[in-house]
Amino acid sequence: MSETPAFIEPPSLGVDRALTNAATLAAEGLSVRFSGLLAISDVTIRQARHEILGLIGPNGAGKTTLVNCLTGFQKPSEGRVMLGDEDTAGWSAARFRAHGIARTFQAGRLFKDMTVAENVEVTGVGLGLGLKAAREHAMAMLGWIGLADKARAKAGTLAYTDQRRLGIARALVLSPAFILLDEPAAGMSDAECEELMTLVSAIPKTFTSGVLLIEHNMRVVMGISHRVQVLDGGKTLAEGLPAEIQKHEAVMAAYLGMEA
Amino acid sequence: MRDFLIRHQTPALLVAGLVVVTVLGVLTGNETVQVTLTEMFIRLVVVVGLWVFIGNSGIISFGHIGFMGVGAYAAAWASAEPGFKQIMLSGLPVFLQENQYPFAFAIIGATLLPALVALLLGIALMRLAGTAASIATFAVLMIVNSVYANWDSVTAGSSSIIGIPTVVGPWVAVGFAAGAVVTAYLFQVSRLGLMLRASRDDEVAARASAVEVKRMRLVAFVLSAAIAGAGGGLYAQFLGILTIDPFYLGLTFITLAMLVVGGMSSLSGAVAGVFAVTIIVELLRIAERGVSLGALDLGLPLGSQEIGLGVLMALILIFRPNGLSNGRELVWPGAAPAAKAPAGRTLSPELTGDAAPSP
Ligand SMILES: Nc1ncnc2c1ncn2[C@@H]1O[C@H](COP(=O)(O)OP(=O)(O)O)[C@@H](O)[C@H]1O
Ligand SMILES: [Mg+2]
Repeated sequence: MSETPAFIEPPSLGVDRALTNAATLAAEGLSVRFSGLLAISDVTIRQARHEILGLIGPNGAGKTTLVNCLTGFQKPSEGRVMLGDEDTAGWSAARFRAHGIARTFQAGRLFKDMTVAENVEVTGVGLGLGLKAAREHAMAMLGWIGLADKARAKAGTLAYTDQRRLGIARALVLSPAFILLDEPAAGMSDAECEELMTLVSAIPKTFTSGVLLIEHNMRVVMGISHRVQVLDGGKTLAEGLPAEIQKHEAVMAAYLGMEA
Repeated sequence: MRDFLIRHQTPALLVAGLVVVTVLGVLTGNETVQVTLTEMFIRLVVVVGLWVFIGNSGIISFGHIGFMGVGAYAAAWASAEPGFKQIMLSGLPVFLQENQYPFAFAIIGATLLPALVALLLGIALMRLAGTAASIATFAVLMIVNSVYANWDSVTAGSSSIIGIPTVVGPWVAVGFAAGAVVTAYLFQVSRLGLMLRASRDDEVAARASAVEVKRMRLVAFVLSAAIAGAGGGLYAQFLGILTIDPFYLGLTFITLAMLVVGGMSSLSGAVAGVFAVTIIVELLRIAERGVSLGALDLGLPLGSQEIGLGVLMALILIFRPNGLSNGRELVWPGAAPAAKAPAGRTLSPELTGDAAPSP
């Protein structure tokens, strides 16, 4: 991983990037019902650009479902998702990405039979770049995240942590306005978590992207988040600065207690 | 020039191989060999067309032999003798009934009509998820079959269309086979091909990478139907006589078997599968005919062809699930651009894992 990440200038797209420059991504009064089960009920969350927002909560709290709503993979039963002033109702997942809302997956979901470089190129091409520009941008991204030497390897053959990093590189193509990371540190050692923290905390400055960080590792979330929101049973339990959340009694009881 | 060839060595090697085989076949001067070769190249066009969709999208299609049939009839409508068409195909538009168009025109029709049909059907089909789409493509095959078997005034129903000029020999067929290979390759390494291959590996992640998956699938579906249709057009102008019967389950099975045997995730695999299955089928056919040793007739029972092919497919699926090509593309040994050659492989030319050679 490069120690002093330089801003990676995205190649020009030649399309209107105004929406990509929206200052906020927000869910307002969001509820999701799965055949009777209320996975999320009346959640409001507001993510600003240049901000790292931690999202925590026990398993089954509804974090992934919320991210699915914010990226077009899940239609909310109630409420709406706003990108700046724009209501995103009816947008496809591809359209969300085209408007600068990127994500990674808890399960990784790499294109495992394609090369590491191709994994990153796909997003560039999907966003309208030509093959050559997409390839150059992909190499710049891989250089930044420290995978340049593995560019021609099959993604499926990468070590676990490298797969996680590739997922992040793929999502950061063309500097999205927002990137939503779903448990990027899961299964990592302490040293690897440390590296990841450096990497993620560099994202807002390097890519001018707001980061929504779902993570169970408290040291990671509390260490790099500017603000933290806590979900429990599909509802917002608390929201505030990391220091406040760590002192919050209900949160301690519901969640942190079992970690300690 | 050298760089260009190294970069695009897979289609270059495949085309060179096809030409060499054709030269050798024609040099034998043997009629049967040339007919077998012509038929194999026509199948190759169809299988490569099938691969454009299946190989890149990962969705099995059972419908493409239907598109081949649509192409064959389009070519027949254009090129059959007007005398026959005016009597037997009175439902055809007048411009087709009264004229006999040249081969080039017939092939263009054989390419465009299936593409149009695929576009209309594909808009509905590509909304379905993978397995459901596969099953729906089977319906395409059945619909084409029953429409063409019963629409007497334009297809002559269960009787044949005759009077189609037979202008397709080994050289014409190999020309189209090479064209199909090059087209398929260009699609594979194009932006669209890259996005479609991503959706094959993980559809959800592809959507998160801004890929409009359904649109990509539709494009590939239409292109592959066009190529399969061209194969149908060649078939009509090779045989000179046409019924809808051959465009059904048997051919669907054999073309899919070719893809499975060769390995459907690479273009080289599609080509290898056509060769391998053709050789096996020809050998079994000879064995079925048997040899006479004095009073003794030695031969395999009829039906051995189908059984042999089925066994071959099962063996491949069990022992080499990615087919003969193992999902790799054909490249010249040592010439793979910056590719790590797998250690211990000395096959020549060898197969390495780079579907799309990068500069
Ligand atoms: N597609 C789905 N169908 C039915 N139930 C679901 C689905 N996705 C999630 N759930 C349920 O919704 C709840 C929230 O899940 P999830 O958002 O994955 O939680 P988290 O990411 O916080 O662990 C869980 O009870 C889960 O079982
Ligand atoms: Mg989750």
